[in-house]
Amino acid sequence: MKIPTGVSAGILAVVLAGCTDPGNDTGFAGLAQQTGEVEQSQFQQPEPGDTLAFPEDWGPHPQHRIEWWYLTANLETRDGKPLGLQWTQFRQALKPRPANAEPPEASGWPLDAAWMAHAAVSFGGEHWFEEKLARGDVGHAGAKADPLQVWLDDWQLVSKPDSGSWYLQVEGGDWRYNLRLSNIGKPVPHGQNGFSAKSASGEGSMYFSLVDLRIEGTVTLGDETLAVSGKGWFDREWSSQFLKAGQQGWDWFALHLDDGHKLMAFRLREDQGAFVSGSWINAEGEVETLNGNDISLSPLNWQMSPQGRVPVKWRLTMPQHSVDVQIAAPPGDYWNAGLYPYWESPVTVTGSHEGVGYMELTGYGN
Amino acid sequence: MMLARAFVSHYRRHPIQLLALALMIVLATMLWTGVTVLTDQARHSLFQSEDAVAARAHVIRADGRPVGVDDFAALRVAGVCVAPWLEVQRPPPEGRVIGIDPLAMGCFGDAVPGGGADSLEGAPFLDISEAAELSREGYSSQLYLLARDGNRDLPTGYTLGEFSMGPSTGELADSFLLNLDALSLLVLLITGLLVRSVHRLGVAQRHGSFSLLHRFGVPRQRITQWLALELLVLTGICVVPGLWLGARLAGMLGSGFGQALDSLFDVTVYAGTEGALPWRAAAIVVFLVLAVCLVDWVVPARWRAMAGQGRGRTIAFLMFLVGMVGVALAADLSWVFVATAMVFAGAGWLTPGWLALLARRLSNRTGSRRDDPLARWRQRELAVMFRHLALPVVALQFAMAMVLAVQALVTTFEGTFETWLAQRLAAEFYVEVPTGADADSTAAQLQNLDGIGPWHRVIRGRASVAMANDGSHLGLGDERVEVDLFALLPISHLVKTWTLLESVEKPWLRLESDSVMINEQLARRYRLEVGDTLDIRLADTNRSAEVVAIYADYGRPAGEILMAGSALPAAFKAHFQSFSVTPGSVAMADIRRRLSDTWQTSELTIRDNDSIRALASKVFSQTFLLTRAISLLTLLLAAMALLIMGWVFFTTRVKYFQLLGVWGLPASMIRRQLRRLSVALTLTVTIAALPLGVWLTWVLVSRINPLAFGWSLPMELYPLFWFELGVMAVATGLIIAYLMRLQLGHTDSIKQVEP
Repeated sequence: MKIPTGVSAGILAVVLAGCTDPGNDTGFAGLAQQTGEVEQSQFQQPEPGDTLAFPEDWGPHPQHRIEWWYLTANLETRDGKPLGLQWTQFRQALKPRPANAEPPEASGWPLDAAWMAHAAVSFGGEHWFEEKLARGDVGHAGAKADPLQVWLDDWQLVSKPDSGSWYLQVEGGDWRYNLRLSNIGKPVPHGQNGFSAKSASGEGSMYFSLVDLRIEGTVTLGDETLAVSGKGWFDREWSSQFLKAGQQGWDWFALHLDDGHKLMAFRLREDQGAFVSGSWINAEGEVETLNGNDISLSPLNWQMSPQGRVPVKWRLTMPQHSVDVQIAAPPGDYWNAGLYPYWESPVTVTGSHEGVGYMELTGYGN
Repeated sequence: MMLARAFVSHYRRHPIQLLALALMIVLATMLWTGVTVLTDQARHSLFQSEDAVAARAHVIRADGRPVGVDDFAALRVAGVCVAPWLEVQRPPPEGRVIGIDPLAMGCFGDAVPGGGADSLEGAPFLDISEAAELSREGYSSQLYLLARDGNRDLPTGYTLGEFSMGPSTGELADSFLLNLDALSLLVLLITGLLVRSVHRLGVAQRHGSFSLLHRFGVPRQRITQWLALELLVLTGICVVPGLWLGARLAGMLGSGFGQALDSLFDVTVYAGTEGALPWRAAAIVVFLVLAVCLVDWVVPARWRAMAGQGRGRTIAFLMFLVGMVGVALAADLSWVFVATAMVFAGAGWLTPGWLALLARRLSNRTGSRRDDPLARWRQRELAVMFRHLALPVVALQFAMAMVLAVQALVTTFEGTFETWLAQRLAAEFYVEVPTGADADSTAAQLQNLDGIGPWHRVIRGRASVAMANDGSHLGLGDERVEVDLFALLPISHLVKTWTLLESVEKPWLRLESDSVMINEQLARRYRLEVGDTLDIRLADTNRSAEVVAIYADYGRPAGEILMAGSALPAAFKAHFQSFSVTPGSVAMADIRRRLSDTWQTSELTIRDNDSIRALASKVFSQTFLLTRAISLLTLLLAAMALLIMGWVFFTTRVKYFQLLGVWGLPASMIRRQLRRLSVALTLTVTIAALPLGVWLTWVLVSRINPLAFGWSLPMELYPLFWFELGVMAVATGLIIAYLMRLQLGHTDSIKQVEP
């Protein structure tokens, strides 16, 4: 009997279709390529006109190929030192499944879906990162919509309806964090009622965010436990063909501006130019969708690191909102050095507006 | 260009020579490649399997029920690093496979079983979903949840147990691989000799052409360069099909190879994956061909001449003697191999000369009688052939010796193993005690069961031993070693028929009172003897026990002590327990029902004697598949080489056969002379191989086997097989004679002189 080529490598490659794949000419993160033997057409593809439904959309979408739950936080310790924090959990389907279909028997150790979780802490110029992997439908990784529960092993995000808060706990070897997320608020849909275009030819994803989370808790780094508090940003996104071939990576920003506005902007780098989009959200949660004519994003400074060259300082302009800011990562190396590395760092905003936020850069480096 | 035409013209005139050389290179590449692929596969599988069992801890449910996927999920969510390991047993030749979840291995970090997810790719591992599918198809399976040693505290309801897929294979694996490597080198040596012999024959015939070229002003160095180039091109062309054939050969043999390792080491291997063509092996063949064929141009003529002279023969004889002594005295396996190589080198060096001398002496004696001139002619001709065909003769001798020895080893082992197995499998049924089940009450139940035949309870675990009284003992010294423990309760008649290698009077009776028996492996490794007193530590309790017997324990390397179960301390924790039962007048179904009721489970593992015996025999037959295959293929290659060489050589002697015709010998008589000559050649080689083969058999059973595997075998010989080899030699001789007859027919030499 011939063992299927590269059990682990194959699975990991498939899983990492949800992450990054620098220099992959079939498209950033493999999201544009066919994974496994399942035809792309068998998965449901988000389209303009699709709408969001709650609480269902907090849970998994097995009919779609890829999705994630994603938190970034700009926190401060009691003595005012900035601390950045990230937690993401991905689901990558290998076989499509109707939304209401029964999952396969766990005893068969099915491989219909794989899960991956990333957690990172950035503090004092240092960066801690951990990665976890799991197969779906077995029980140690999954997500539920109501009450919200997303878990992979002992990394767990759970909603406690009686308190109106979410709780996140992560342990990454000699570091860990326990957080309480409050001020959940209403989800903010991006793009067209939640359909966020990712290319001019119509590929896209369903995408919404919680943009004004209040976070408090503890972060333990080695022997030191820090009490922290601050702002958070939570993304939910799913698709089946997120990016098209020829897109090499993305530059993504989520910013909390001091005047109460929030800004989400991304740039998908293509062979010819880039596809730019974003959302301008006011303090009341009203959202304005932005396109490439509204936003300009350009790298100002590049940093050499062991993983390669990466733009760490940017200029972002939005003339119609009189925004002309510089976005910079703090000194340090913020690569999430997982199986497929990418850059994930807190940023500070200066210029016409001030603020903090997070920057994710993929498809750079070696 | 002229030079190129001159070189090619030889083979245009002698296409058979070119064909013979090409065929030799193809076959040599095929054999070497096949052996290399198989040994590499063995090495890879062994290392992989060794790594795979490195975790050495697994989670057990405290309630004794088997762990399942729910337990896995619960433990992971509780933050415990565990990974599933689903073993599925398929009947041979597929054997066992192991389903793993590479995604779950991440938490092991550097301690991941197998050294990392990537290294768990390929045989015997497959994705756990596929293993689960096999399990659903009805193949027996067992799920383990591997855990890291020193894991954090487990949630209530779980404990850690030792995860042992088999005994530590380190030393044994090295020895086995060393054996395979040695066999490979012998194959390489034989193939080298064969290629060289064919090439040398061609060069000898071209000597005149080379001299002519030199007289035309071509420097000798240039001729050598062209010869090397010619050989390089020919080897380059022939290596490719040889490589492909070798890979196919390995593929054919590979399916049973995993079983061979499995039976030897109790390590799960699922071999037979296809890999890239082994170009490294091809490079070695190219190098070997160039080296053996061009060595004459590098080694000074003085040295070469010395090899065949008196001093050379003295050196060869000394080498032979030193090798003989070395094999008998060497304490290390590597040195046994070195000494064996010396014996082979010495024998190979001396044999053609001795055979030629023998033929000449016979010829002189026949000559003195003057009544059989044809016999004298044949013996003279034979002497010439032994000198000229020295290399293929030696190659065939080596190959035959190897085949003889391997056959004797395998057959002896087969017989010994059968007897041993029959003694070990005296009970009719074997019932595993489920984890956590109460074996004491079951034993009491069986004790009170009227009509039941002999039965006993087997308790297996670990113990450590040291010398109790004499710290200066050669073997153990002050050392304390971990051993397997095998305890019986009661010591029933089922074991009392064992043939013990050494024992005191009434050993089984003595075993019931503070004594132990040890297996041959432990005795050999630490030079323990009957009468020694061991300090045995069991569950932190120390006790002294005299060794009252040494028993044979084939096929595994671990040291083991056998003792009465009644002597085990209460705190002793068994890793495995079973009951060996002969139902007698009680129906086995009744016993099964009682056990099910006692243990509160319907999932009993009960094996009957026949199925275990069939499986053991099947596994055994595959154990030596590789060795047998390699030796037989080598013999085939050597026989073919001799055939080709004999044929080519005989063509150079055509004029002498013509002379026989001129002397008035009828064609039928000439053909008869041909037959007698060629059969005498091959048969003499076979006879010359016999002493070397017998000696090699002794080396394998009495020297290599104990050093490599810890157990020895009786030395037995199989003359019937010698006869079979003789028949093969006669057949080869007759084929050579037939080919020569065709050759003579082509030249019309016989017809021309026929009256």
